[in-house]
Amino acid sequence: MKNVLAIAKREIRSAFNSPVAYAVILGYLLFTGIYLYFIRGFYVAGQADLRDYFTVMPLVFAFLVPALTMRSWAEERRLGTYELLLTLPFTEGQLVLGKFLSSFALAAIAVALTIPVPLTASMLGSFDAGILVTQYLGVLLEAAAAVAVGEWISSLAKNQVSAFVGSVLALLCLVLVDRVSGFFGAQGLAAGLLNWLSLAFHYDSFSRGVVDTRDLAYYLSASVLFLYLASWGLTRRKWS
Amino acid sequence: MIELRELRKSYGGVEAVHGVSFTAETGSVLGLLGPNGAGKTTIMKVLTGYHFPSSGKAVVDGIDVEEDPIAVKSRVGYLPESVPLYQDLTVAEYLDFIADARGLGSSAKAGRATAGAAETGERARAIERARAIERARAIERAIGACGLEGFYRKKVEELSKGYRQRLGLAQAILHDPPILILDEPTTGLDPNQIIEIRELIKSLGESKTVILSTHILQEVEAICSNVIILNEGRVAAQGAPSEIGKALKGEERIRLRLKAARGSAEGLDREALSSLPGLRSVSSFRAESPAVLAAEIAMPPADAEAPDVGETIFDWAVSRGYKVLELERHRLSLEEIFVKLTSEGEGR
Repeated sequence: MKNVLAIAKREIRSAFNSPVAYAVILGYLLFTGIYLYFIRGFYVAGQADLRDYFTVMPLVFAFLVPALTMRSWAEERRLGTYELLLTLPFTEGQLVLGKFLSSFALAAIAVALTIPVPLTASMLGSFDAGILVTQYLGVLLEAAAAVAVGEWISSLAKNQVSAFVGSVLALLCLVLVDRVSGFFGAQGLAAGLLNWLSLAFHYDSFSRGVVDTRDLAYYLSASVLFLYLASWGLTRRKWS
Repeated sequence: MIELRELRKSYGGVEAVHGVSFTAETGSVLGLLGPNGAGKTTIMKVLTGYHFPSSGKAVVDGIDVEEDPIAVKSRVGYLPESVPLYQDLTVAEYLDFIADARGLGSSAKAGRATAGAAETGERARAIERARAIERARAIERAIGACGLEGFYRKKVEELSKGYRQRLGLAQAILHDPPILILDEPTTGLDPNQIIEIRELIKSLGESKTVILSTHILQEVEAICSNVIILNEGRVAAQGAPSEIGKALKGEERIRLRLKAARGSAEGLDREALSSLPGLRSVSSFRAESPAVLAAEIAMPPADAEAPDVGETIFDWAVSRGYKVLELERHRLSLEEIFVKLTSEGEGR
């Protein structure tokens, strides 16, 4: 655990020593703010409901998370520190977990900075605090799974650009795949499978304020799966 | 101590190292010498647990790198060829990370926090304090040894190439490892820095096992107690720097410059010179000016230690009425051996 924290600490320090983290978080806040207040017309609608705001999060994360995770491994390769990390007394699992933790922490910071939005909205009408907590829980779980995907793709990519593009594409697919079933009128098992794969589908009940253990299990197992894939890839590289 | 046994390593079907064996003892500096692509870096990557061998064994301090890579990594300090630094950290933050990674105590702040939470109180606090001091000392020692005082608060990206190299070295020696593996440690340094770093490596080599790779031959002669010349993934020659020269056949030469006392040196001929006892062949023979002749003569290896060759030549020259301007016994330098050994492979 100490090793994991050492890696995460280094990552977060690097992120905040460079302008990238600030720019990405600011961009996220600006975009979601504009979406809520101007595109959805929150004040115009006159309804004290933030469901729209939270529903758009998986789609926004498909861009935010790759911007946070693209550096993770690709940057280490560029700097040559990849070789340092793999020759320090860390296991592959600790490396992957440390990097996951730091990217997730950055995403969580970005999410935490949106808290003023429901706070100011609550002054206008009565909000159900329980629903809000569930919505935030859903956002964080979805972010965790997205970060795991981003980390895995970053560990495969040769440079930052390909890590970013690859992760955006992968996340968009995972977020939008449940729309496919509606679009083509897929039914039964096919529709169920497509929905089950979707990052956004499992998020839906959270944004309505419902915690479903199946969704919880989906996000947690997706995170574990992609982190495992990343760690397996690093280990395999030693033999090639 | 490091032991390699019949190490082979291939990347994607192409074998880069074909069965290399050697032992490096504690308290010695071993130089790996060879052209680019000879397998130096590959061997180092296996020894640091970055790659696993395709076959054969690599044993570091009695531990097989494949069986317990983490234990090997914690005993090894490694400076890769591309100095691995985080550009957006300061020198202090970078070394702090390395200290964390090496498990050197904990930072002073963390120490205070855990000691405050611990019920055991006094003792835990004392241990924490001792570890924090140990950590601070380790950082101070590495910074001092690598001449980085005054750069502690600087960002890595602001450092010049020489100072980056020093920081890379500081990183490698921070935890005072028994094994040091340095891939071209003096590249990018100016001559004064090179001398400083060589002195440092030499002194580290008194108590540790140091392996360094280089293609600078003076470096090997200056700091290595043993040298392995690699070519195309094989050991081409191995031994102490001075022994390697001796081991090669006919490697001692005599350089000679003669001046005719009167008139020209035309009367002097090759055959007369090479027929002298103790000499083998005249490899070069030319007139520098009408009166001055320069010659290079090879000596058979059996007579390499014969003390009287110089005397023979001198007597012969005097009897012919020549003045000896220069008479120098010359041992083949590592540079020449290196070229000789590594170009043999190209002929195949």
